[in-house]
Amino acid sequence: MYVIRNATVYSMEDDKARNADILVNDKGKIEKIARNINVKNAEVIEASGKVVIPGFVDAHSHIGGVWMEDEDLNECSNPCTPEMDSYYGIDPKDKMFNIAIRNGITTSCLIPGSGNVIGGWGIVLKSNEGSIDERLLLHPACLKAATGINPKGVYSPRTQLPMTRMGIAFILRDYLRKVQEYKEKKEKAKGDKKKMPPYDLGLEHGIPVLEKKIPLKVHTYMHDMVTVVEIAREFDIYVTIDHAQGASDYYDVLKDRHVKGVIFGPISSGLFPGEGGKIDYECCKGLDDRGIKVTVMTDGPVTPENLLICQMGEAVRRGMDPVRALGMITRNAAKILMVDDRVGTLKEGKDADLLIFEALPTLDVRANLLLTMINGKVVYKKDEI
Amino acid sequence: MLIKNGRIHDGKGKIFESDIRIEKGKILKIGKDLKAGKNEEVVNAKGLEVFPGFIQTLSSWGINGSATEIRPSSDDNDELSDPITPQLNVKYAFNGRAATVQQLGAFGLTTIGVTPTDNNLFGGTMAVFEVDGLNPFEMLIKDEIGMKASVRKNVKMIYGKRNAAPQTKMWLFEQLGEQFRKASEYKIEKGKERDMKMEALQKVLKKKMPLFLSVDTKQDALHALEILKPYRIKLVLCNGYEIDENAKWLLDKKIPLVVRSNAMTMDETAMKLDLKGIAALSEKGLKVALSGVDSHWQIREDVLWLGINMMRILKDEKKVLPMMTSIPAEILSVSDVTGSIEEGKRADIVLWKNNPLESYQAEIITTYMGGKAIYRKGDELRCM
Repeated sequence: MYVIRNATVYSMEDDKARNADILVNDKGKIEKIARNINVKNAEVIEASGKVVIPGFVDAHSHIGGVWMEDEDLNECSNPCTPEMDSYYGIDPKDKMFNIAIRNGITTSCLIPGSGNVIGGWGIVLKSNEGSIDERLLLHPACLKAATGINPKGVYSPRTQLPMTRMGIAFILRDYLRKVQEYKEKKEKAKGDKKKMPPYDLGLEHGIPVLEKKIPLKVHTYMHDMVTVVEIAREFDIYVTIDHAQGASDYYDVLKDRHVKGVIFGPISSGLFPGEGGKIDYECCKGLDDRGIKVTVMTDGPVTPENLLICQMGEAVRRGMDPVRALGMITRNAAKILMVDDRVGTLKEGKDADLLIFEALPTLDVRANLLLTMINGKVVYKKDEI
Repeated sequence: MLIKNGRIHDGKGKIFESDIRIEKGKILKIGKDLKAGKNEEVVNAKGLEVFPGFIQTLSSWGINGSATEIRPSSDDNDELSDPITPQLNVKYAFNGRAATVQQLGAFGLTTIGVTPTDNNLFGGTMAVFEVDGLNPFEMLIKDEIGMKASVRKNVKMIYGKRNAAPQTKMWLFEQLGEQFRKASEYKIEKGKERDMKMEALQKVLKKKMPLFLSVDTKQDALHALEILKPYRIKLVLCNGYEIDENAKWLLDKKIPLVVRSNAMTMDETAMKLDLKGIAALSEKGLKVALSGVDSHWQIREDVLWLGINMMRILKDEKKVLPMMTSIPAEILSVSDVTGSIEEGKRADIVLWKNNPLESYQAEIITTYMGGKAIYRKGDELRCM
């Protein structure tokens, strides 16, 4: 049990800061947020003058499964591998989880890479130590798909479908059509084993997408996002638009109710010609202003976890309010990933995943992370606190 | 041109309010209450922070390669036909228009060190360029400011795959010493074929330029120091991965350190960057330049982000800003021309609203390179 005392709390339930104490119970949940909490037997963490915020949620990452030539999340033997499951591709002891903790990332959505048009299921995992099962928040969390240069780049040299965006759209639509038919056959069979279609794991993985229980999570840049929204409408499914450089050209399209959210980034201006050539991270503000859920990703380990805060800072530099920017990688990410019942804000009953900073990290570049708590346990502490 | 009433951060640790007069691209006068002349353009910088342009010490800006050209090909600073190419000069790789398109001024950079890659033991000579222009030789601020060498594993990975040398670090260190030994004995003789490699290395031996040595680990650096001991050459250590506060030998030998970031590399060794240790050494007098990644994956925020990360540790702009301006200028041998806001220097000046080493709400109002406005707030960031 902990009491965090006299903190400036950004609960992110709204955009306000309040001076409050936070009581964390032994079940790892937030018991209470109020002034002057007095509980015996609770360890006190004095946080006056410090800022307490929810743990960061990274909505698009591959840590634990991708490191240079060692890939466990990119099964590029076939462009359509919906039967894959990130659950089996993650090393829970990967060093990047520790770097995540030291930089405030308490939850990540870990997904297959973008070499395939359909890559497989993603999961939502916490960063603390322990087995995958102990840390799992959501499984499945999404079905990963990819458009544009990545699948093209993998299969073009092999002269295999898809070598073009036409081919990518065909594979995507053809798969969703097959899932539709499979699902209908299953429903018609009403449990009668003789009438059931032959079991197909890949198609099974698509059913929760058609049922809108999980989104199709699509690696998308520039004009490909129009294609993705079009396909989402056609099959009436939820999609998330991941990477989304060039989103500022398509605000109206992205307002569509099928778009669960835009997962922008990683923000950094590299030299990425073609589909990555438009540098428009002012669109974080643009999307937020239009009521479109937007968050920022590390794409870890492509951009290391320690740069997520700098990324949010760049969104602020391009006009976003610092607290709204903080909202991007806390509540917005949790909502887009559909884990907002557990994480994303500080609220009584939610998981005690929280961070103590010297100052508001999306405003003050000098603000150090002092403490990371996951499930009510202190998992990182800077020496000075 | 007159910049009035700005808060000047000179890049050498001083912060003061003053006016700046710019003439012919240079800072003519710094002082209070300078009177505007007839027809003189006046920029009101009241409430603005006046910074020197940032300098990226090691970069591949302005370099064309397979990512930008019609045929798959090497990047122009990456001559992978031979691991020993000290005779090459990076100025012939630099494309002025390519650098201009990269809009480095929008990120506060006005000066760049351009370098051959880390993929050869000796890559060639480095040069310093402006960030905006067309003609590379007009943009060239200084040529042959350093010889690039690398004992990083990149070299053995690339040539090893071809079953050629090097395949090991043993070779890299052996040849590092061997090439300098040969160069120290080399003489131009009549009737004998000249060896341009040896002539290039002799410039390092004669201290006409320092050796910029890129290493993976602390042990790499120590090995190189031992091997280079007989030659008394000027050395600049590049990367700093694994360098911690115990690396006092850098101080004793007065070797400056160019820090690369760990952004966008997925590089095992880069993840061993210990900025805290490097900060501790800098407090004891180590000259530290905050550079960035200079590979294909270089990003334009790198210098600023490294500065921000350093601010979290040192919390003192007077110590951190020089690492992004005057110290890189010194290491790149252009401190007589740029890297600080002082009379006689180039007018490489960035007007910021809010201080970028304090707040993320800092944004660039105007970037001047040699007195020319190369970026103004609101300019669209162009596509590649």
